[in-house]
Amino acid sequence: MKYILLLSLLFGGFELTQNEIPNFRLKNLDNRTVSYNQIKGENLTVIDFWATWCKPCVKSIPEFVKMDKEFEDDQVKFIGISIDGPRNKAKVKPFIKSLGVDYTVLRDSDSSVMARLRVTAVPTLLIINSDNEIVYFHEGYKTGEEVEIKNKIKELLAE
Amino acid sequence: MKNIGLISFFVAFGSLGFLEQAEAQLYGTNTFEFQYGNLPFEENTDLTTSYNQLNLYYDSGKFSLFGKAEQFLSPVEDRNYFELTQKRFQYQDDNFRIRLGNFYETIGSGLLLRSYDIPGSVFESDFYRTRYAFFRDLEGVAFDVNLDWAELKIIRSQPLQNDLPPNFEPDSVRRPDLVEAIQATFYPTENLSVGGAFMRVNTPNNSDYSQYASLMTNIQLPANFQLFGEYAIDTESDPFSFNEDQSYALYSGLNYYHGSFGASLEYKNYNDFRLGSSGFNDPPSLIKEHTYPILNRSTHVPNTSNEQGVQAELFYTFEGDHSLVANYAYTINEVARRNEYREYFIEGTYKFNDQLSLKSFLDYAVDEPKQQDNRISIGLITDKSFGESQNVIVDLQYQTYDESFQPEKIENYFASLSYSFNSSLNISAVFEASTEPGLTDNPNTFPEIETNTRTWLGFNSLYRINTSNSLALFVGKRRGGPACTSGICYEILDFEGAEVRITTRF
Repeated sequence: MKYILLLSLLFGGFELTQNEIPNFRLKNLDNRTVSYNQIKGENLTVIDFWATWCKPCVKSIPEFVKMDKEFEDDQVKFIGISIDGPRNKAKVKPFIKSLGVDYTVLRDSDSSVMARLRVTAVPTLLIINSDNEIVYFHEGYKTGEEVEIKNKIKELLAE
Repeated sequence: MKNIGLISFFVAFGSLGFLEQAEAQLYGTNTFEFQYGNLPFEENTDLTTSYNQLNLYYDSGKFSLFGKAEQFLSPVEDRNYFELTQKRFQYQDDNFRIRLGNFYETIGSGLLLRSYDIPGSVFESDFYRTRYAFFRDLEGVAFDVNLDWAELKIIRSQPLQNDLPPNFEPDSVRRPDLVEAIQATFYPTENLSVGGAFMRVNTPNNSDYSQYASLMTNIQLPANFQLFGEYAIDTESDPFSFNEDQSYALYSGLNYYHGSFGASLEYKNYNDFRLGSSGFNDPPSLIKEHTYPILNRSTHVPNTSNEQGVQAELFYTFEGDHSLVANYAYTINEVARRNEYREYFIEGTYKFNDQLSLKSFLDYAVDEPKQQDNRISIGLITDKSFGESQNVIVDLQYQTYDESFQPEKIENYFASLSYSFNSSLNISAVFEASTEPGLTDNPNTFPEIETNTRTWLGFNSLYRINTSNSLALFVGKRRGGPACTSGICYEILDFEGAEVRITTRF
């Protein structure tokens, strides 16, 4: 009964919209706060949630480094969001640089942005279009899945 | 009374929807978990329980609302609950944010205050035998201002004591401490930030406030060096005296990168620095966070009563995406007696081609707090892809060590075989075995002590139905023990039976 009441209250008053990304703010690796709107791509923005201790994340990052270079001219911006807490704060920057990452990396140490974007596991990759809508959601990473992600970026750029 | 609050909150959600229908956005997640089974050695082996967690977000321009509702059902009435466990109102513009209700905030590196959320995690309390979301939030009000040259945050809140379940009565015991804090950070140049924080804490049955202060800095040095540090003290202690009768915490780090090489070095010195009655601060542990199961549960949790240590880590990525990681951690604490923790870890990844890679690790540790010596852990993980859609991972791990008062070496085994098809289906089998006396013995047969090797065999499957829905199934036995996720360590319980989890995003 409680659930029925709750759901009727919720959905009675809302017109569900596209999944728009909020203009979240996080610190970058130089300890400066930046907002999503400041760093997003003109056409597409690819957000990768990762952590230094997450093995599939570490495996996927070199693939994103390649894609970042490949789609640079298409106004596609990559953003890495590390959910490492204070425990791994010291490692994030040297680790990500050793992998050749040139794109912006932000720190979500309490996972609050991760929760707000409805991400419940790492790695998770989101693609956001120029209207700030989340148009692709990919959880986990296994070798070979970079092809699926790359094809999706191409498909979205062609739209 | 709680249910009235819960319904009122969702009525507010609904009302805002009518008012702001054109711009409103409602979204959220739901996690439903059903278990049939129980902890091993429990009499009631076929306990049926269910847990549901609903997270709802409502955004309208600069305003947003959030609510988390949790429900646990079991045959034992006292354990059941249906609660609104988090609620938040937020207003945010380009430079200013105010949050009312439940939120997360960390001061500096967590020496004074750290809150966290582990999205998707479900914690089960061994004592209360209920399940609930695993987070440590703050309840109260927070303001923050962000300018190009400075940042300011002001907090008045009560941190959650998250080892007590949502239905614990009285509810006030779950948030025993009141924290009032202000933190200011200044950016005088592009490469320098300096900051300070002041915090006062009121604990139960205490009319006075304890007061703490901290200084922090972050400096970008030439040649890709970065130096940062934080020093926090109880304001009644002598600054920079570092005596045993003082309350302080010092944490600093230096990192460097050049080309494919990266390095970090950290130092800690904590004394009498567990804050509040609930221990809401979380100074960095300076112990490597491993995700290999046998190493993850062998971690060291820092003792903030007295602990010093260092950690160094090196990374190198070779041409062809091969990589090497080396870590050294040393910690010493002296509470009842002097205890050392020392760990050497090396991990290499070799990528034969785009379809096949091999990863291996070797770890040696001396863990005096756990009375473990010569702890050697090794692992070998093979990752093979077939075409663009199929992937097989074989993961083999072994650990052995000497434990005080145990005549035989202790051994732990881990093996898993995982197969995935596309990114939508993954199935795996996990086998574990252990000769740890604390695990092999059945406490119900006391005084008899069982020493036979104990084994666990479980089968997992995960089916991502689409980008919004996934279904996970576990059948078999799952080994519990200490676990660390996102730098947070907690205890997970053994489980024997079947478990279904459905996750939905909308």
